[in-house]
Amino acid sequence: MDQARLVPDDPVFDFRQCMKLLKSTGKKASSLNELMRLIRVASDNSIYHHTHEYFFRGRILEYTNDFARWVGENLEAHVLAENLSVIDPFRHGSIASLRDELLNKIEAYIKKFPSPGKVFSPGEEFFFQETVTFVFPTEYSASSLEEFVEALKKVDDSSIYWHFYEGRVRVEGGVNDFSNWVGDSLGLGGLSDQISSIDPFMHSIGSIREQITGYCARELEKGKKEGAAV
Amino acid sequence: MISGYEGTSPERDLEFLKVLGEKLSGRSVLNVNSTKSGGGVAELLNRIVPMLGELGLDARWEVIRGDADFFDMTKKLHNSLQGNREHITYEMWEHYYQVNRRNAERLDLKADFVFVHDPQPLPLIKNPKREGTWIWRCHIDMSSPQKNALRRVSTLSRLYDAAVFSVAGFAMQMPMPEYIVLPSIDPLSEKNRELSAEEIFAVAARFGIPQDRPVLLQVSRFDRFKDPIGVIKTYRLVKKYNDCILVLAGSPATDDPEGARVLEEVKEFAKGDPDIKILLLPPFSDKEINALQRMAAIVFQKSLREGFGLTVSEAMWKGKPVIGGAVGGIPYQIINGMTGFLIYSVEGAAFRARQLLNNEDMLRRMGEQAMEHVRNNFLITRQLRDYLSVLVSLENREKTLIELV
Repeated sequence: MDQARLVPDDPVFDFRQCMKLLKSTGKKASSLNELMRLIRVASDNSIYHHTHEYFFRGRILEYTNDFARWVGENLEAHVLAENLSVIDPFRHGSIASLRDELLNKIEAYIKKFPSPGKVFSPGEEFFFQETVTFVFPTEYSASSLEEFVEALKKVDDSSIYWHFYEGRVRVEGGVNDFSNWVGDSLGLGGLSDQISSIDPFMHSIGSIREQITGYCARELEKGKKEGAAV
Repeated sequence: MISGYEGTSPERDLEFLKVLGEKLSGRSVLNVNSTKSGGGVAELLNRIVPMLGELGLDARWEVIRGDADFFDMTKKLHNSLQGNREHITYEMWEHYYQVNRRNAERLDLKADFVFVHDPQPLPLIKNPKREGTWIWRCHIDMSSPQKNALRRVSTLSRLYDAAVFSVAGFAMQMPMPEYIVLPSIDPLSEKNRELSAEEIFAVAARFGIPQDRPVLLQVSRFDRFKDPIGVIKTYRLVKKYNDCILVLAGSPATDDPEGARVLEEVKEFAKGDPDIKILLLPPFSDKEINALQRMAAIVFQKSLREGFGLTVSEAMWKGKPVIGGAVGGIPYQIINGMTGFLIYSVEGAAFRARQLLNNEDMLRRMGEQAMEHVRNNFLITRQLRDYLSVLVSLENREKTLIELV
């Protein structure tokens, strides 16, 4: 997969935004066995799209990836859907290990329930897709925490996604861009850790924005009080 | 023209269009289809071709010409690719190729990028003078095509450099890159623009639609796949608990002999209930449809089978939650429980309608979320953005991440 890196200790944080162009692979599964067979041979890009990029689409209600959603909604295999939904793609160091976990869970389910469901209507199959990611600058940048929090309130959701979710995958260490910059360039280790501790599974992009701005506002308030005390 | 979308389309999309326009500045883009007016493709091209020009591309639009036999054959081909049984003879195929050969000689097909829309002009790819990158833009649902038609179309489509389909389920497996570009609505068109309260009341008065009770609406052709009888049954279940009006509005389907029969059945089924309004609207009743969608409390799209079903996005854009069948493109538009409800039965549709009618907050919230979902995903500026992204992607074929500075 292509990599785009932020300079870790860059004094200026340039907010960027992204969009995804979908591609069809033409491959589709209408049963669990087919799904398993195709997950085994799907490109890394396709696995990445159906797991990591699920968060970009802001549909985190019951499921946290496309495989879980299809298994739950179309095959009505709810136990497996729940098992697949707890897979955290951001905790996997590679697509290969994520792919293994997906396959293991499906395989274990098939062993337990040897006649898993199947969809029969055209259009209800699982369609393997890929994406091309486009990244481009926004008009916002920050060289202080004040500027950072102001920009954070205004940038597009795709900017939060790019820095908070995809940042974890792009930069070694699994840490998002915001935490990296706040820690490395502003020297605010505590704030950096707070941002890192936000659970991407439990929040929409909107609520991640709110939480980060909240943490930053408290940090600024703390700074003001300490300044006044001196 | 693009500035007209400021404040309506997401700022991100407009910024992205500008960046992509700069990247592709000076490239020539040709669109080829089979009609200058009427139908979704012509409607789309009428808007996006001038916008491409405004973004700095050299944009042109050519229309192929054909006789009645040609269009009769392409109608059969279209139906056949959508799964209907049609008899297309060898002579009909030969005529199809011949008409396209004549058009290839007549038209100026030179461009850096050529978008060929739908199957009518598909054989233009065999033009020996072909230059540039050729992209087949297939707007139709090919998820369960007739084999013979698919075989012929496949042979031609595989000669293209890339293809674009509306959703993954409509695509077929081919050797070249296949992109997915979801359809869109134009928020500035007559069908979707803001209307004043006076304009809405005038339409209600003209059709005799009372405004003292909530209006339930379905806009669709009178076609069994749109389940108009199911919508009346739904309304009857709702009516036991909540007094309401049902409006079924649709244009006559001139190419569908069954349409008249379905309309008669619907009228018969609705007979005796003054609160059911069946409106047969002439083609291009855009303003009337706009007003009906705006006066409705809830909109149904209770289809049993559907293409993409853009009427769903049209209603959502007007802040209405839509209760729709989980078929075709409807699940792409309705996020169940968030921007509307996906349903599988008359009972399910009635239950969701009652839930919304009895919970004003939910009705308003879902309507707002529906509108935002359309703003972010189904406006024409997003579709144009995707088309330009396809071109940039084709110039960077091996890349999965493209940085635009």
